[in-house]
Amino acid sequence: MAEVSLRGIRKSYGNLEVVHGVDLDIASGEFVVFVGPSGCGKSTLLRMIAGLEPISGGEISIGGRVVNDVPSPQRGIAMVFQSYALYPHMSVYDNMAFGLKLAKTPKEEVDTRVREAARILQIEDYLDRMPKALSGGQRQRVAIGRAIVRNPQVFLFDEPLSNLDASLRAQTRIEIAKLHETLDATMIYVTHDQVEAMTLADRIVVLNAGRIEQVGTPLELYRNPVNTFVAGFIANQRMNFLDVTLDANRMLTNSPKLRQLIEGRAGVRTIGIRPEHVTLASPERADLTGTLAVIEQFGEYALAYVEIGTGDLMTIKLDGAPDLQLHQPIHMAIPSEALHLFDEAGRALR
Amino acid sequence: MKNQANPWLTSNLLVLGLGMLPAMLLVGALLYFTAWAFAFSFTDLALVGRKAVEWSWVGFENYERLFTRRGFLESLWTTVIFVFFSAIVGQSVLGFLLAAALRGSASSIRSVVEVCIMLGWLLPDIVAAFLWSATTNQTGLINQLIVVPLGFPPINLINDYALPVVTIANIWKGTAWSYLLFSAALDSISREVVEAAKVDGATPFQRIWLVMLPIIRPHIATNMLFITIWTFTYFPLIFAMTGGGPGTQTQTLAVYLYLQSFSRGNLGYGSAISVAMLVIVGVLSLFYLRLLREPK
Repeated sequence: MAEVSLRGIRKSYGNLEVVHGVDLDIASGEFVVFVGPSGCGKSTLLRMIAGLEPISGGEISIGGRVVNDVPSPQRGIAMVFQSYALYPHMSVYDNMAFGLKLAKTPKEEVDTRVREAARILQIEDYLDRMPKALSGGQRQRVAIGRAIVRNPQVFLFDEPLSNLDASLRAQTRIEIAKLHETLDATMIYVTHDQVEAMTLADRIVVLNAGRIEQVGTPLELYRNPVNTFVAGFIANQRMNFLDVTLDANRMLTNSPKLRQLIEGRAGVRTIGIRPEHVTLASPERADLTGTLAVIEQFGEYALAYVEIGTGDLMTIKLDGAPDLQLHQPIHMAIPSEALHLFDEAGRALR
Repeated sequence: MKNQANPWLTSNLLVLGLGMLPAMLLVGALLYFTAWAFAFSFTDLALVGRKAVEWSWVGFENYERLFTRRGFLESLWTTVIFVFFSAIVGQSVLGFLLAAALRGSASSIRSVVEVCIMLGWLLPDIVAAFLWSATTNQTGLINQLIVVPLGFPPINLINDYALPVVTIANIWKGTAWSYLLFSAALDSISREVVEAAKVDGATPFQRIWLVMLPIIRPHIATNMLFITIWTFTYFPLIFAMTGGGPGTQTQTLAVYLYLQSFSRGNLGYGSAISVAMLVIVGVLSLFYLRLLREPK
C-alpha cells in the first residue's frame, strides 16, 4: 500500500506533446480510475507510472519516493495488461511464479504465494495448464494473479476488461471490486468505459486530450460535472445539450420555465439535461414539447428520442414500458434542479 | 474440421483420378529420381567408358567405400564444420541478433540495413563467388585496403584460410533469410508480453532468453531445418570460389559428390554419396521436427 503523486507530468513524442502537465494525488489504498476517450493520454499516464514509458517532464512518486529514474521492477508496482500478456510457453503456475523466481525468492515462498493468489482468484485447478487452454476470463484471472503474487504497493490495470464479452465483463468487474476490498491496495485503473469507472472507482479522473478535466467521486462527477465534456462522458445515457442561441426563439416560446432560467443568468450558452431526469407531463404542465421520433424499449425502461425542433433528437429515459405512439406530441417536465447550465467555453455555471 | 468432400467428386472415380493426376505425376517424378539414385548406388555405373553401358551390380561395395576410402568421411567433416559455422552459428545467430537489434529502431535505419542484407541474398551465386575471390586474393581489396597499408606483407586469404573465407562468404550470402524469418517472428510477439516481463523484473538478456526465444522456438526450428538442409547440399558458391581446394580443404559433400560423379565419372559411387547425404539430412530433419512440436 502506498500513495502515488504526480507533479506536472508531461509526455512528448518529438515535438508532439500528448500529456500536458498532470497533477494528481492518489491516497494509499484508493481505487482511482482514469477514464477518457481513446487518445486522451490515460494509458500513457499509466505506463509512465509503471515505468514502461519515459517521462518528458514532472515528477512521479510512489510511497513518498520519486521514481522517475527507478526501473519498473523496483517501483513496487504490478500491472495487468489489456491482452493479459501471459507468457504463452509457461504454465499458469510458472506465469505467476516468473517474477518471484527472477527475484530469487526461495522456492517454498514462491509456492506459498502462488497458491495463495490462486486460492483468492479460484484458479487452483488450472495451475498446470498452459494459457492457451484457458478461456478469456480465466486468462484475465491469471494475469491478475501474476500481479498479486508480486505483493505490489500499487496495482495498475490497463483496460483489463475490454477483451471480455459483456456478461463476463460485468462479473469480472465485481471480482475486481471485491479484490480491492480484500487486498486493500492502491489501484489505478484505466478504461474508456464509463460504467467501469462509475462502479469501481473511489475517485474518477476524467482525461481529455492530455489534460485532466475533472477529478471526483463518481457521484460528484454525475451531479456536478465541471464542463460539457465531463457531463457528456459520465453517465449511462449521454446528457442532452440544447444550444440556447441557436434555437432560442423556438425553444423558449415552447418553454417559459427555460426562458426564465436562461434570462435570469448571464452567459448561458448550453443547457444540459440528463435523459433520466425528464418526466412525462400533461400538456398544461409541460416545460418542453416535441414529437416522438424513435422509441427503444428495454422492458425495465425505455429510451424515447424526441424531435424538439432543434435538429438534434432529445433523449429521455422513461421507467417501465410506456405506451407511446410515434409522431405524436410528447410533453415533458424538467425539474429546475436537474438542469445543468454551461457558458460559451462549455464550463459549468453554478 | 470435418472432411466434407464434394459428393459429385467422390462418386465419380474418373473425375477423381483426373484431379489427382498432376499430384501423382509430381510425386512420381520425385520418387523416380530418388529411386534411380538409390538403385544405381548398388552398381558400378560410370559416366563414360565401358561401364557406362555394361554396368553391373556390386552390392554394398559403394557404401563400404564411403567408410574405407579416403574422401567421404573427410568431406563429411568439412561439411559439418561448414554447416555449423556458416548456417547455425553464422546465419542463424547473426540473423537473430540483427532482427532483435533492429526491432523498434527507426524505420529508415531498418530499411537501409535490410537492403544491404538483401543484396547478398539477391546476388547470383557465381557473381558473389567472383566478388569474394577478387576481394580476398593476394591482390584483392582486403590486402590493398587493410593489410598492406598496416605494413604487413599481403596474405592470400582465399588460399591460406579457404574454409573460413568460404564460411564467411556463405554467412554474408545467407543471413538475409534468417533475418527475415526472425524479424517476422519477433514482430509476432505481443509487445505487452515483453513489457510484462520487464515489470516482472527480467533484464534485457532474460527477456530474450526466457521469454522471446521460447515463444519463437517453432520459428527457430523451422529456420534451422531450412538452412541446415540448404547449406548441407549447397554447391555453387563453394565450387565457384575454390573448386573444393586448396587440396580438399573446402571439399564439402556436395563438391565431393560432383567431383566423384562428373570429374572422375563414378556415377555409382556418386549415387551412394547422394543417398548417404539424403539419410543424414533426413535424420537432422527428424531432429528439428521434434523441436517444432509443442511442449506437453
